[in-house]
Amino acid sequence: MSNDGISKEPMLEMYLFEGNLLVEQLEEIIIKCEKDKKFEMGDINEIFRIMHTIKGSSAMMMFNQIGLLAHSLEDLFFFIRANQNIEIDFVGLSDLVLSGIDFIKAEMNKIEKGSGADALADELIGEIKTMLEQMKISYEGQNAAPATLANSTPDGQKALYYISSYQNPSAEKATKYCVQAFFEDDCQMENIRAYMLVNNLQEIVIEIHHIPADIIDNAASADIIRETGFTICFSTLAPYGEIESILNQVAFVRKMEINQVDDYPAEFKVLQSRREIILDEIPQEYQQTLTETVETGSTNNRQQNIISVSVAKLDMLMDIVGEIVISEAMVTKNPDLVGLQLEGFSKAARQLRKLTDELQDIVMSIRMVPVSMVFHKMNRIVRDMSKRLAKEVNLEIIGETTEVDKNIIDHLSDPLMHLIRNAMDHGLESKEDRITAGKPSQGKITLEAKNAGGDVLIIVRDDGRGLNRDKILNKARQRGLVHKPESELTDKEVFAYIMLAGFSTNEQVTEFSGRGVGMDVVAKNIEKIGGSITIESNFGKGTEIFVKIPLTLAIIDGIEVGVGKSRYTIPTISIRESFRSDDQEIISDGDGNDMIMIRGQCYPVLRLHRMFKIKNAVTTISDGMMVMIETDSKAACLFVDRLVGEQQVVVKALPKYLKKVQGIAGCTILGDGGISLILDANGILEGQLA
Amino acid sequence: MVKSVLVVDDALFMRLGLKTMLEKNGFQVIGEAANGVVAVEKYKELHPDLVTMDITMPEVDGVEALRQIRAFDGNAKVVMVSAMGQEVMIRSAIMAGAKNFIVKPFTEESVMKVLSKL
Repeated sequence: MSNDGISKEPMLEMYLFEGNLLVEQLEEIIIKCEKDKKFEMGDINEIFRIMHTIKGSSAMMMFNQIGLLAHSLEDLFFFIRANQNIEIDFVGLSDLVLSGIDFIKAEMNKIEKGSGADALADELIGEIKTMLEQMKISYEGQNAAPATLANSTPDGQKALYYISSYQNPSAEKATKYCVQAFFEDDCQMENIRAYMLVNNLQEIVIEIHHIPADIIDNAASADIIRETGFTICFSTLAPYGEIESILNQVAFVRKMEINQVDDYPAEFKVLQSRREIILDEIPQEYQQTLTETVETGSTNNRQQNIISVSVAKLDMLMDIVGEIVISEAMVTKNPDLVGLQLEGFSKAARQLRKLTDELQDIVMSIRMVPVSMVFHKMNRIVRDMSKRLAKEVNLEIIGETTEVDKNIIDHLSDPLMHLIRNAMDHGLESKEDRITAGKPSQGKITLEAKNAGGDVLIIVRDDGRGLNRDKILNKARQRGLVHKPESELTDKEVFAYIMLAGFSTNEQVTEFSGRGVGMDVVAKNIEKIGGSITIESNFGKGTEIFVKIPLTLAIIDGIEVGVGKSRYTIPTISIRESFRSDDQEIISDGDGNDMIMIRGQCYPVLRLHRMFKIKNAVTTISDGMMVMIETDSKAACLFVDRLVGEQQVVVKALPKYLKKVQGIAGCTILGDGGISLILDANGILEGQLA
Repeated sequence: MVKSVLVVDDALFMRLGLKTMLEKNGFQVIGEAANGVVAVEKYKELHPDLVTMDITMPEVDGVEALRQIRAFDGNAKVVMVSAMGQEVMIRSAIMAGAKNFIVKPFTEESVMKVLSKL
C-alpha cells in the first residue's frame, strides 16, 4: 500500500488502534487459559484470528518483523486447533505468546512515537517454531497416524477421484482448442488462478484437460505454472467469442494464446486416455474445521454496537459544549435584561438551560470510558510478578464498569501498576511467612472502583503484612519531617509520609521497588489529574490505598477572587482556608518578603497585585482577604482584594499564542462574559518561593 | 454508473483500507460487516453490486457466508480476500461461486484489476 498515494496517516492510526486492542485481548485470553489450564475451542479460534489479522495488517503496512512473528504464532495455533488432544505446556506456551505480545507492543510503541519498527523477531520466531516442532513430534508419538494439517494442502495427498467418462455423442462435432496462459509476475497463487480458468470453462466444455494436471492440491504447481505457463486443451460447441470472454474474466493473465486445433498435442493424449475427471472434494478433516467456527465467548462481539471516535473530535465537542454553556449564561444573564419583566423569555430561558445541561451531561458521558481496560492490564503484572517472586496471588477486580474520563484513564495506568507492584513486592509476605501467620498461602489483592459523589474511588487492597506505624514515624523523625506532636498524628497522616520523595523504610532495594522513588511519583501523577491518595493499614493484616480522582479534568471547583479589575479562580482543592488580617500581623524580612504567623507557623505572604502587576488593587491588608493555598510540601498566603464566590468552572487551556506564565493553569469565561485566570498552586509556590 | 460495494472483514484496519481504495476509484461503499452472519444480513438488506469477503471471520466464515449469499441471489458478485496459504478455502469459495480473489497484502492496483473485471 505504500506507493498508492493514499495518505498513510489514517491507516497507521487505525493499525495502531486496532493492533493495541487485539494485543490486549490476546493477553487477557492467554492469561486466562494458562490459569484454567485449558484452551476452549472459542479461545483457540480467537487467538488464531487475532494473529491472522495482525499478520495481514502488518504486511499491508510493511511492518515485516511483526508480520512474520504473527505468522509463526498463527501456524502454532493452527496446529493446536487441528489437534485438540495434544499435550500442551501451558506455562511455556503462555510465556512464548506473552513474549510475542511484548515484542509487538514495543514495536507499536516505537511506531507511534515516530521511530521505526526496527527490532528483529528472529530469535522469538525460532523459539515458536521449535515449540511447534516439539508439538508435532510429541503428537506423532501419541497417535499412530498423524492427522496434521499444514496451513496449505498436505503433500502427496491427491484428492483425485477417477470416474470413467462416457462418450458424449456430440463430442465429435465440437471444436478442439488449446490455450496457453502465462500469469503476471508476483501475482501469487498461480495454481488457483489457473483453476479459475478451468472452472470458468467448465460450463461450456465437453471435455477438458490441463497441464499441470494437479493444480489445487499441489502447491508446487504454482511454480511450474509460473515457469512454463498453464496449458488447457478442451473441446466445446461454444463460439470463439464466448470462449475468449470467459477466459478474460480471470485477472492477472499476462499472456494468453487461444488456438483452435485439429487434435490435442501428445501430452494431452495421455491424459485423455485416462479420462481423468478431478472431482473437487474438500478433505473431510478440513470440512470439520470450517463448520466449527460458530463459537460462543467471542469478545469480538463488542465491536458490533460501538463505533470508534477520534479523541480529538471529542475534545472539540467538549470545547464547544463548554462554550455553549457559557454563551447560554451570557444570553440569559445579560445585563441588558436587568429589570425587565420577561415571563415568556424566562420560561424559554429555563428550557434552554435544561437542554444545555443535558447536552453537557451527555457529551461528558461520551468521553467516559470504563476502567476495565486499565484494570485488566494488572492481570499481566500480577502474573509475571507472581512467578518471579514465587508468591501465589489472586487478583480480584471489582467495579470494572465504573467509568472515568478518557483523559484521566491514560494517567491512571502507571500509578496503579506501581501500587500493585508495591503490594506484591512489599505488602504480601512469602508463602512460608503467611502460613506461619495463619493466613492462606495465596495472597489476595483487590482492585476496586466505585463512584463516590463527584469522584471515582479506586482502592488497592492487600491482605499482606501492613504498614509499621512506628518504623515510618521513626524515619520521618530522622528526616526532620515531623512538625506536630507525635501523639497528635493520626494513622493516615503517618502513613502519608511514605509518599514523600526518597522515603523508603526498606533496607533492601529489589528489582521492582524499594528505592523510594515510586510512591512520590505516584502521588504526583494522581495530583496531576486532580486526585488524592490516602492510605490505611492494619499492621499484620493488610493495607488499603484509596485513590480519589475527579470524574473529569475539565471542570473544577474553584473560588473566584478579585484583584483590581481582574478576576482569578483558585481551585478549591488547593485552598486550606481564608481569613482577614491586618498590617500589624505582617512581618517583613530584610529582603522585602512578607510573612505571617498562623497558629505558631510561619507562612510567606504573596500579594497577587504585586505578582501580576495589577493596578488599582487593594494594598492595605485589612481591606483585603488572605487565602492560604498549599501543595503537599509548601504553603503560602495569597493576598487578594476580595472573595467573589464559589463556583464550578469549565477549564480552558490558555491560547497557544500566549507565553506560558508560571502559576497560571488555564482560563475560564465567567457568566457575565468576563475572563478569569485559573491559578496553579504548585506553579505559584514553586515560582515564588524557590 | 457507480458500483456499490459491501465490505466484509473482521479487521477494522482492512475495512478502512479497502474502503479508502474503493472510494478513491469511484466505487461506493454502502455497507460493512465484521462477520459472516452480519454479511448475509447486510447483503439482503442493501443489495450491493459487489461484495469483498474476507475468509477468516468469527461466527460464520467467508466461504459459508458466500454460500448463503449465493443461495439468496444467484447473481451475487463476491470477491474473496484471503491470505497466503488458504488455497483450499479459496478453491471451495470459487466452487461456491466466488468470482475472483485478492491476496493479502494487496495493492490498490491489483484490487482494481480484479474489480474491473466484474
